[in-house]
Amino acid sequence: MDGVGRSLVRYWRSALPLVIVLWSVSGAASGATTPDTVTPEPPSPPSNVAAEDRSNDAGGSVVISWTKSADDGGGKESVVEYLVLRSTSLAGEFQQIGSVRSGVAQFVDQNSIDGTPYFYMVRASDGVSLSLPEVSEAASSSAQWFHTGRTNILVAGALLSFLVLLFIRKAKRGEELYIRPIAGLEAVDEAVGRATEMGKPIMYVPGIMDMDDIQTIASMIILGRVARKAAEYETALLVPTSRSLVMSAAQETVKEAYLDAGRPDAFDADRIRYLTDDQFGYAAGVDGLMLREVPGAIFYMGAFYAESLILAETGHSTGAIQIAGTAMPSQLPFFVTACDYTLIGEELFAASAYLSKEPLLLGSLKGQDWGKAISIAILVGGVILVSFGMSKIVEWLTTR
Amino acid sequence: MSTNPGVWVAVIMTIGIFSFLYKDNPLYKFCEHLFVGISLGYYVALYWNNGVIPKLYIPLFRQHNYFYLIPGFLGILYFSRFVRKYAYLSRWPMAFVLGAGSGLSIPAILQARIIAQMRGTMSDTFTVSYVVMVIGVLATLSYFFFSREHKGFLKIASGIGIVYIMVGFGATFGYTVMARVSLLIGRAQFLLRDWLGIID
Amino acid sequence: MKKQIPLLITFVAGMVMLVQYFIPHRPFSEVYRLFNQWYLVVAVFAMILGIGNLIKIHSVRLRRRGSGWQYSIVLLCSLGVMGVAGLGWGIERGGFFDYLYWNMYYPLSSTMFALLAFFVASASYRAFRARTAEATLLLASAILVMLGRVPLGNYLWDRLPLLGDWIMSYPNMAGQRAIMIGIALGVVSTSLRIILGIERTYLAGR
Repeated sequence: MDGVGRSLVRYWRSALPLVIVLWSVSGAASGATTPDTVTPEPPSPPSNVAAEDRSNDAGGSVVISWTKSADDGGGKESVVEYLVLRSTSLAGEFQQIGSVRSGVAQFVDQNSIDGTPYFYMVRASDGVSLSLPEVSEAASSSAQWFHTGRTNILVAGALLSFLVLLFIRKAKRGEELYIRPIAGLEAVDEAVGRATEMGKPIMYVPGIMDMDDIQTIASMIILGRVARKAAEYETALLVPTSRSLVMSAAQETVKEAYLDAGRPDAFDADRIRYLTDDQFGYAAGVDGLMLREVPGAIFYMGAFYAESLILAETGHSTGAIQIAGTAMPSQLPFFVTACDYTLIGEELFAASAYLSKEPLLLGSLKGQDWGKAISIAILVGGVILVSFGMSKIVEWLTTR
Repeated sequence: MSTNPGVWVAVIMTIGIFSFLYKDNPLYKFCEHLFVGISLGYYVALYWNNGVIPKLYIPLFRQHNYFYLIPGFLGILYFSRFVRKYAYLSRWPMAFVLGAGSGLSIPAILQARIIAQMRGTMSDTFTVSYVVMVIGVLATLSYFFFSREHKGFLKIASGIGIVYIMVGFGATFGYTVMARVSLLIGRAQFLLRDWLGIID
Repeated sequence: MKKQIPLLITFVAGMVMLVQYFIPHRPFSEVYRLFNQWYLVVAVFAMILGIGNLIKIHSVRLRRRGSGWQYSIVLLCSLGVMGVAGLGWGIERGGFFDYLYWNMYYPLSSTMFALLAFFVASASYRAFRARTAEATLLLASAILVMLGRVPLGNYLWDRLPLLGDWIMSYPNMAGQRAIMIGIALGVVSTSLRIILGIERTYLAGR
């Protein structure tokens, strides 16, 4: 800081005449008028003007910061705004690029060309006259290759991925893996069986989001397993969808399932149909289907919003056995009250491993459990540390 | 009583949907099919005007930005399912959506649902409520352990977790009830004020 | 080979989207915006197929005079009219499309939404009759929070709103946080399996 201050002073002594010329020029350019009559003294200039590349961006931005003028919030209290000017050389013409009101000590130049050094000048203004200018050292913008503010997510992601893949590998080598009973999934067989006995169809509602949502993808995986059972028992399966992509994925999934069960001819693509993208239009359509087709079992698996209760209550009124699963915390309460079984959050993602008992999938589940164990450890550790005043861990958990 | 035909149409729509509460009836069936048709038509027009035209048609045909041929090509591949020989190509656009969606979700959800949640649970003010919360988070997390049988300590912890889950669900339920009732009041006001003119 | 390419596409797309979160430099800064545009185009093409499917099902029902064929006319006509109005004459205020939106779509949609008030009541009544420990807990908590938000609650006990808020902010928050952490772990695990091709049943068969 000292070295910078000394070099600044040296600079001013040699450039003073040029500065005076620049001052009058920039004063005219920014429209500040200097009346002929006696004017009050101009405000004090800001100090410590510093410019640096904005970090963690794609380039094109420079952050200019300064210490407020002595007359801003104190002293004469005359400062109204700060003007920010820029030039590519100290001797060149400084052009105004923006302004901020008093009290603010930072400005972001969002139109800089990467690699080009700029000098930034900040002047305090009281609406009538400008302070002496303060100029920064040269700074240029650049794009960064790594977002340092997101390191914590990278670490968390890498750790979790490592755990999941480790246990998948262990499972591949034949390690026995246990999975605790999940009531909603134990009931799938019962539900399909009941519908078959009553001679009624099964309805599968895959939620209202599209195939880029993980809940919908999980729903398709579960659909495959339910469809397999439906094919084996020769029970009709109805799948109304809210997105066309989901309709295609569902048709593919169910077709594969019928093929696997050795009943390719029983597959009816028209039973898997697209209704409308609209949330409540879809709900109205599905409600109508429920009342007319009277399913014996209804599955709700995927992402739902407010229409969840409309569907679940209507389904209940048909007397069907209902199994729901969603990772939308706001809709879980409604499914819990209206359905016979509900898969809560993570249980939806465990369903595929549960129903197939495939070692690879069970392995990934164990990796998830380790993730939970580590989360618990970090939480307990963090709570203890923070209560003793050591808040470094909170900083690590903050993402910019 | 309103003389605006638009209001009368809206009234028929409103009463038609409400009639669903009684049982399935021709008026509801009519409104339901109308709703599906209209909402679909609405989305078609919306996607066309706000999506296809500015994001595909203009860049491709007006600005001659041929980079946009790639998504167009992906979209057309989707129709290859009708030609048996090339039907396997229709999996490509789906693979793209699945892969990109999965890749996007990983860091986003790590940030919002793990890191931010853990940070939120740590605080330096040690109150009874704070202890209640921390115990709740730990107990509920233990409910979700899949690869271990819930015996002994884990059973007690997950039992406490279920209590927290149910209390939480009830709270969410109770919280939204008033919002739902106000929706109903809104429709009732429409019927009584804009149509019948009984209230103002 | 035919089965490998979709898996490769999934892998590449997944890794690119994953990596772009950490790299602000071009071209990765544009990738997210590009994905949204490409996804939109694919979704629009898919929608053409979906609508075609819907039209086919209802036209067949109409032709064969299947059950409810009269309503199929309603659906096809309303789809046609709304779609043509929006495509041909635009979606700005004051147009025919706008008129249909406010006098048909809006009342239908908001009334469906308003049905929730009744469904909430019926669901609560059933929870009341369930008599399991969990249902009782849920109902008790719901009643406390709900009363805390209405003047009646304040009248019954002036501390009730505070209790309701407390329940929302502490036990509810605790449960939600843990559920969210669990969900995140499940999402990451499933996403990894998709990207790496470990989960592939619907994409390329077994």
